[in-house]
Amino acid sequence: MSSSTIQVTDSSDLSSQSTSRLVLQMARRDIATLFRTPWIIISRSLAFIIQLFVFAYLISGLVVKFPGFFPYYAVGSVVSVVASISFIIGYDIFEEAEEGLLDYLLTLPIPRREFIIGRALGGAVRAMIYTIPMFAIVAVLENFSNPLSLIAAVLDLFLLAFGVTGLSITVAVSVRSANRFDVVLALLELAVSRASTALYPLAFMPSYVAALAPFSPVTFAADSTRAALSGSSLDILGLAGLLGFVAIFLGLGATFYFRRLEGGVYA
Amino acid sequence: MFQGNTALIGFDKAGKRFGTLDAVKEFSMTIQDEEILGLLGPNGAGKTTLMLMMGTVYRPTSGKISVNGLDVVQHPNDVRKMIGIAFQDPRVDGILGAFDVLNWHLKMTTNLDKGEREDRVEKVLRAVDLWEAKNKRTWLMSGGMRKKVEDCKVLAQRPKIAVFDEPTAFLDVPSRLLMWKMIRELRDEGSTVIVATNMMDEAERLSDRVAIVNLGKLVAIDTPEQLKGKTKGGEVLELTVGNGQEFPRECLTQFSEVQDVKQENNKVTVYLSGGRLLLPKIVETLTNRGVKIDSVHLKEVTLEDVFLNYTGHRLE
Repeated sequence: MSSSTIQVTDSSDLSSQSTSRLVLQMARRDIATLFRTPWIIISRSLAFIIQLFVFAYLISGLVVKFPGFFPYYAVGSVVSVVASISFIIGYDIFEEAEEGLLDYLLTLPIPRREFIIGRALGGAVRAMIYTIPMFAIVAVLENFSNPLSLIAAVLDLFLLAFGVTGLSITVAVSVRSANRFDVVLALLELAVSRASTALYPLAFMPSYVAALAPFSPVTFAADSTRAALSGSSLDILGLAGLLGFVAIFLGLGATFYFRRLEGGVYA
Repeated sequence: MFQGNTALIGFDKAGKRFGTLDAVKEFSMTIQDEEILGLLGPNGAGKTTLMLMMGTVYRPTSGKISVNGLDVVQHPNDVRKMIGIAFQDPRVDGILGAFDVLNWHLKMTTNLDKGEREDRVEKVLRAVDLWEAKNKRTWLMSGGMRKKVEDCKVLAQRPKIAVFDEPTAFLDVPSRLLMWKMIRELRDEGSTVIVATNMMDEAERLSDRVAIVNLGKLVAIDTPEQLKGKTKGGEVLELTVGNGQEFPRECLTQFSEVQDVKQENNKVTVYLSGGRLLLPKIVETLTNRGVKIDSVHLKEVTLEDVFLNYTGHRLE
């Protein structure tokens, strides 16, 4: 290093730096973490195959009241996996805050709003990449071949992922105790996934679960995805629910982020 | 070199409160363009909080901070574009190697194209002797290597305002000297550099000016020479006396050459002039008063003495 070779960065040069490029860089950072541990994708895909071909086949044979349970369960488990993986971004952010890495990220010249969008986007795309192999298995198995239906289903899954990352980020920046955070996020994940129509229809649920399930974002996504893949109709209600879910929790996540982090809560 | 021309950063009665603790209180100071300012203070003095407020990570709870005329609360995005911070504890993705850490940092902080970026990363890593280990995951690196990677983020970024928090902690002597040289080069190229440190020699040898910070407050600010020159007497006599003895302070203040006497446990610091001539008289007087003297050390004023003089305690 010598003064003759490198010049100090002029901050006016950075004003032309596109914000969308920075958002994508933030997102790519989160996506890249998935590919640093590819064995996780492989092992989870294998676990999914075993779950589908052993558990789901076995159970669908036992379920006499619901003859089409296997395809119902297969699509629903993909939706559940998307939700589950999308929650991980909250753990990442909480860990970064504890380790101080978040302080570093907050010194970077990216506006806070774009920072949140980048993180949520990265978490959502990561969940989609993770789930695509499982989705492909189900599509081949159930012969879902209509491109428009497949695109609509992927859109539903992406909206769910985007909303859940927003929810997860909101929790990560709202709860300060590590133990409380783990419990809250685990319970929330359990609630939105299990109290939903992802793995079993509303009609077969206990009344106390059936009362909550219609409001779960996973229900919106599961119903909407099934409707898209069956090619029957567009599930407007499910889609609207998902959009509302994304808007609320991404907005809430951003608001909490501004209030908490700018105030130096993690100091 | 530092010309001391225009003010670039201003702290105007800035304060930061965490719960009931005032980490920084009524802090006012200006930092000149293209100077190296050493922030000298013990751990917990508020140095990091000051820098993170300036870097828009923490919001001041009182007062104002401006960077190049921009209020950090009103214009955080513009301020962040000018600043690069190397943290005390390395803040790097442990799973990444040094090359990827720096490359991603430059993607976020500069407009360099791929070739320029990679070229700059290579230059910096070669300069600090980390090129061979460029792909080694940082969590597998030693503390010193990780610290170098952290410093290299700012050295590669070349920001207008470069902040280094304890830049040579964990580094061996040759690496410390190299890091100081690289920080000086950064200043010579046009950066304003702030170095937070609790090491006297680092503050003294690296800084154009030194700000002494204690308990969240600015105690003194000037060039190291001026700070030492302002210290009473210009010489320091350090005495170690017997444990548990009450020290007869008035024995020494009777001499007109003695400016001040401070005692911490069994360590007595005497600020004086003409120490060589006075020393035998002091020893004789104290011995006659029954004071057991274990050691005597006469020296010129150092920044450590300045710190002790202003704060009443040593920087340890």
